[in-house]
Parts: sequence; structure tokens; C-alpha cells
Amino acid sequence: MADHFRGELPKALRILAAPAGLLPLGPALTLAVRRFARRKPAVFERLGTYGQCSFLIEPSDLDISFLMVPDGTRAEVKCLRRRATQPADVTVRGPLLVLLGLIDGTFDGDALFFNRAISVSGRTDALVALRNAIEDAELTPADFVGVTGTLGRLVDRSVFGGLGLARRFAGSPVAGEPS
Amino acid sequence: MSLELVCPAGTPAALRAAVEAGAHAVYCGFRDETNARNFPGLNFSPDEMVEGVRFAHAHGAKVLVAINTFARAGAMDAWKAALTNAEKAHADAVILADLAVLDHAATHHPNLRLHLSVQAAAATPEAIAFYADTFGVKRIVMPRVLSVEEIAKLNAAINVETEAFVFGGLCPMTEGRCSLSSYATGKSPNLTGVCSPPEHVAYSEDKDGTATRLAGFTIDRFGAGEPAGYPTLCKGRFAAGGKTSYLFEDPVSLNAASLIAALAKAGVTALKIEGRQRGKGYVAEVVRTFRAAVEAIDAGGTEVEVGRLLAGLVEGGRQTSGAYKKTWR
Repeated sequence: MADHFRGELPKALRILAAPAGLLPLGPALTLAVRRFARRKPAVFERLGTYGQCSFLIEPSDLDISFLMVPDGTRAEVKCLRRRATQPADVTVRGPLLVLLGLIDGTFDGDALFFNRAISVSGRTDALVALRNAIEDAELTPADFVGVTGTLGRLVDRSVFGGLGLARRFAGSPVAGEPS
Repeated sequence: MSLELVCPAGTPAALRAAVEAGAHAVYCGFRDETNARNFPGLNFSPDEMVEGVRFAHAHGAKVLVAINTFARAGAMDAWKAALTNAEKAHADAVILADLAVLDHAATHHPNLRLHLSVQAAAATPEAIAFYADTFGVKRIVMPRVLSVEEIAKLNAAINVETEAFVFGGLCPMTEGRCSLSSYATGKSPNLTGVCSPPEHVAYSEDKDGTATRLAGFTIDRFGAGEPAGYPTLCKGRFAAGGKTSYLFEDPVSLNAASLIAALAKAGVTALKIEGRQRGKGYVAEVVRTFRAAVEAIDAGGTEVEVGRLLAGLVEGGRQTSGAYKKTWR
């Protein structure tokens, strides 16, 4: 897979992000996805049997990757310290901020692929199903944190604002503009 | 409003994004083989369609339901159910291609407004008159094979509305008649709603770039950083006559924004944006840009620079006005 992509985190931020691998991200994300599955089961119905596929998500600018099986309330996310050591049905690779933009709907997956801002391999049907399910889920940071109402809106505004700033800083692709 | 902007939605979230971005109408389909974008995880359940229509109507937009594949002999139940569910959802129109489905709709759902899908490839006054007279079709979606001049002549000779594609993916001009995908995969857009079904698509990377395979056949290879296209046979690169090239069609997106005024003058009722398989980020950006372009033309203003604004969303990194300007003649 490609080694470098536009919009990767600057070196200083990568160094700052390095300790993230020491955090219990896997269990935290597992809980968040399962919680989301209880709140919005329709998203996982849309995914169908592809929920049992494994998806390796590799931020190209971090030394960790995520192995996810999005099987509704039985979902599991593992945080891996080393890349490409785990077999998976699908592998998606790209800068962290771009991958997050796919989750929150900022970016169009086809456009990122056309512009080679991400690379994919493995079962394309599973990837298409996951992309479409995420598209319809309208995921927000509050969904992952598990808060709603005013606090949820505050979390969303803060995180989206921060991500927007970070993307400008990192030179991420902008929707509509060629990479 | 002089021109209706008809926009794609593959999911309820994309429908809401299209409506909020300024779509006058949204087209979408049910989650089965009855529509020509039958991809995993895409499309609407009957309940989602009801809610989608309610949302669109509450915001002053219409919903057109695409039931535009060709029914299989002796197995029409899915298409009949789709018509029933579209009517129950209070859809503003259904977009059909198959004669049997058109006949069933005209006979059993007389209150449904019928549009003729691009899949029917009706491009002559005689063909269009047949669909209008026989089934009461009110609008045809024109195949992307006509120049603006030909559209003006066609509109002068027919008494139904016409809808013209202005942005998005292009087929190699055999609308509704393409079986290319089925030779490799056993499936085609006309029969099962999928061109290059994703379960047959595989990408692999090596030091030379990315190889695209369809049902085991390598159909293209992109160098590092080279813009990519959809993994369809028609947009593959093949060796023939001593050179390797895009033999059938370049990976390129249609963009007829510069022809909006000309299409209006040619009598077109509605402008259509392709892309039900695209994300809501694409839908919102394209719809917002085209709505501004249509309003600028309506107000007698200058053209919006659609090509520059949407350059990052197009297939293969390139745009064309397609057959609307037949420069190869």
C-alpha cells in the first residue's frame, strides 16, 4: 500500500500522538460501538452479514492501527501497536484526519479513492457496505462518548471545530478540491 | 423556478443532505434488485422511504423512486411490491424502464406519476410517444447520447417533460443495453442493478501502483498518485492495435454546468445529478453548487465555476460535457 498521503499529521503532532498506543483505546472503542449499536440498530441492519467481516483501519501517520468487527452489540475493536500484522477481510489506509472525515461524512469515499487520498484492499463488497452504513449513521463524536442533549452538542461542536482546524493545519484534502 | 434540480440519495442521510442543500427533487430506490444502484448497504427500506418522503415534502422537495431495472420473467413480485411501497410512501413519481413494470404501474397504480428511466434509452419522438400514449408517461430521462441541438429538436416534437443529466458518472452510450459487466461477473445493471458488483472487485498494491481486478480479470493499473476511476470494464485499460489505452471510455465525469442555460432554452424541464452510490459529502457539495448555478442562470447572472468548485469529486480527475457538445463530429 502507498506509504505517504496528502494531509498526514505533521511530525510534531505524530510525536504527541505516539502515547495514544498506550491507552486502552480498543476496549473504549468496543464499548462505544456496542453502545451505538444499542441506540441505532438500523445502522447495523444496513450492514447485514458484513458486520461479521474484519476491517483493518490503518492511519498512515500513526504507529497504531485498529482491527474492527462491527457486529452490532457483539462488535469488537482492537488497537494494534504494529501495522499489517493482523489478517483482515478489508484494509483501509490513509491519514487519520481523512479517515475520521469518512466517518463524520466530511469526505466522499469515492472522491478520496479517485484522488488516491486513501488506499483500500480486500473485500470490496464489505468495504462498500461499511461505507454506506457509516454514511447513513450520521455519527457524531457525542455518539462515541455516549452523551446527548446540550452536552452532546457541545462535544460535537468542539470536536468538529478542532478537526476542521487540524485538517487545515495538516493540509488535508478539501471537499470539492482536487488532491 | 425554471429548472428542477433532481438529486441522488443512496441513504436517508443523503436524502436529508440533498434536500437541505437545495434539491428540488430527490431520486432514490428500495434496497433490492428493483433499482439500478443495488449495492451493499445502500438504498431504502419501505419504512425509510415513507420517512424520507415525509421529510422531503416538509421541506418543499419531491421524491422520485427509481424502480428502473428490468423485471425477470415469471418473477415480478419485487417490482410489484416496489410500486406498491412507492405509492404507500406518497412518492411524487416512479422512474421505470421495463415495459411490464410500466404496464403494471399504469394498470394498478393509476395515481402514480410515471417517469421513464434513462435505462429505457428512449431518444426518438416515436419511442417517447409510444411510452406517453401507452402508459401515460409524463417525463423521460434522456439517454446521454444527444447534443443540445438534438434535445431542442426532440422537445419540439414531443409533449412530455424531459430530464437531462448534468453531472456525475458516464456510461459509454449504451444506456439500458449494456451487458458488458455480465460477461465477467454474471450480473449487469439492467437485470440485477449492479455494474461491476463489489463482491467481484479487488484492488491490490505493489511497488508499481494499484491493480484493479474484476472477477479475476485485471482491468486497469494505476501508478502511484495517478487519478483512479470506477472499476468497470468499460473504463478499463486494454492492449489493442499495439497500444494500451482506455479502449471504450475514459474514466471521466460528466459536467454540463456550462450548458445549463442552453438546456433550458432547449426546453428541458429538469437537470439530473448522478451519484446515488456517492456519500452525503458529495451530494451536499454538488447539489449546493448546482443550485447556485441554476439560480445564477435564472437571475440572468454569470455562470458559476462549477468545474473548478467540484474538481476534487470527479472520476479520474477529469470532466467532460459528453455528447451535449459532440466535438468529435
